Amino acid sequence: MERRREALVGLVVLLGIAVGVVGTIWLQGGLRRDMVELRAATANVGQLVAGAAVRFRGVSVGRVDAVAVTPGGEAVMVHMSVRPELALPADAAVLLAPESVFGDWQAEILSLTELDLPYFVDYPEDGVLPGAALPDFSRLTATADEIARNLTVISERFQIAFTEQTALQLRSAIENIGEVSDGLSEIITQQAARFEDLSEGVNASAAELGAAARVARTSFERIDSIIGSAGAGEMLGDAGAVLSNLRSLTDELNSSLGDMRAAARQADTTFARFDALLAAAETGDGSVGKLLGDPALADGAIEAVQELRALLADIQENPRRYLSFSIF
Amino acid sequence: MLERVSGALALVGSRTITALQGMGQAWALLMASAASLRNADVWLPHLVPQMARIGVASVPIALFIATFTGIVMSLQASYTLTGTIPVYFVGTLVGKTMILELGPVLTALTLAGRVGANISAELGTMRVTEQVDALETLAYDPLAYLVVPRVLAAILMFPIVVLLAIALGIGSGWITALQLLDMSSPEFVKGLRLFFLPWDVWFAVIKSVSFGAVVTGVGCYFGLRTERGAEGVGRSATRTVVVASMLILCLDAFWAATLL
Repeated sequence: MERRREALVGLVVLLGIAVGVVGTIWLQGGLRRDMVELRAATANVGQLVAGAAVRFRGVSVGRVDAVAVTPGGEAVMVHMSVRPELALPADAAVLLAPESVFGDWQAEILSLTELDLPYFVDYPEDGVLPGAALPDFSRLTATADEIARNLTVISERFQIAFTEQTALQLRSAIENIGEVSDGLSEIITQQAARFEDLSEGVNASAAELGAAARVARTSFERIDSIIGSAGAGEMLGDAGAVLSNLRSLTDELNSSLGDMRAAARQADTTFARFDALLAAAETGDGSVGKLLGDPALADGAIEAVQELRALLADIQENPRRYLSFSIF
Repeated sequence: MLERVSGALALVGSRTITALQGMGQAWALLMASAASLRNADVWLPHLVPQMARIGVASVPIALFIATFTGIVMSLQASYTLTGTIPVYFVGTLVGKTMILELGPVLTALTLAGRVGANISAELGTMRVTEQVDALETLAYDPLAYLVVPRVLAAILMFPIVVLLAIALGIGSGWITALQLLDMSSPEFVKGLRLFFLPWDVWFAVIKSVSFGAVVTGVGCYFGLRTERGAEGVGRSATRTVVVASMLILCLDAFWAATLL
């Protein structure tokens, strides 16, 4: 009886201890003797606590063992245990993020090239992976709260600024904008029509240019064929002779033009003198002027001319009266 | 008027003195029991029988309560968490609650009624029938013979019973989640492991050790102070259950404040 009772007590004790030990190990995720330790440094860990899951590509590969601030206080060191067969990428990093919206966080191993966040902490110690933590919901809530407050301020200012008069002005402005829009629409329509005409003209011009180009091409081809033919040398020789004749003719014309220019200059001089003479006559200077300006002198001149004519007639009729001819 | 006031003051004073006397006597009993530990030849032969009585015999009732606690926890958790909260949190709630609180406390309260009252009644009967006096006459250390093996047995067996109760409570909650709720085992286990820390188990063990000491210590104290025959025995048993339950809850709050 005594033995049986002792055995029963022993059984219950062992059973209780076994339940406690095995249950603890099982709830921890199994025996973790063969796990490999990983460390990652982050600026903060958010809501991450010991026991949180460590994931790689979405698969649970270990657990967070401890979270502690570094001795210098510049970072937080996350100690993790992961499966030894896990092949980490060369640029492995650890991102701490909420596993769900209910406060449970996880540490996710990833490649820096997959998610190049600017705030990964690069801790200056070998074997420590760079880490980063996403903002937790409290920070997001705080940011949302700040945004809400800013919106409230804007709303209040809008309420202050948006009076009935502002509304009327705004309505008027909108109507004006409508009118302007209609005008612009009309202008655009007109310009579009013009552009259509212009484009048609451009098209026609382009067609004509195309035709001209074809003609030119044909002409050039013909010229090429002529140049390439046997009589081209003779034609070129004739053309050279014609050009030589034209050149000599041009030289003669140039000399004639030079003579003409000299004659013109002399004529100009003559005309200038004649102008001076006329001017002197008009002013009464000189013999001609006095002659033209003094009627008595003119009459005298006429009489002198008449007497001269009479003298000439008398000389012609009676030469011996005026002339005597002897040899000795 | 003056007599009434003086009567009230006297009542308060006498109650205070009684309480202080009780605390002093309990402290004296504790010290005397600690001193009686050296009489191992007296208490050691009685340790295993007491472990069987206090621990093994209490396992069925503890497991019964833990089973239904787990079931109710799972059902109420699913009822509470309906909506946006993921269903795997049922596992979290059942696990954490059973390990940290309901497993140790409910088991201790149950054993306060079963073990504490039993010890109090037994020792009270021995006291009123002068068996304790006979032990002293026979040069037996009554504390080493009666108190130490019971308290040590409770300290050793309460954690065992609590661990079994926790395991069965979680298991019953798990089965309930699978059978009555739209949950799968991976979901429940995920929630169970989500916030689990080995320290939680140690916390439950520490609490249950203290609860075992309190339940048996209070039972021994009131049993050895039993007076006035069978009526006194009943009164001692009642006081044991009440005081032990109160101390369990106070200790529960104390450990939560100091260890968590």
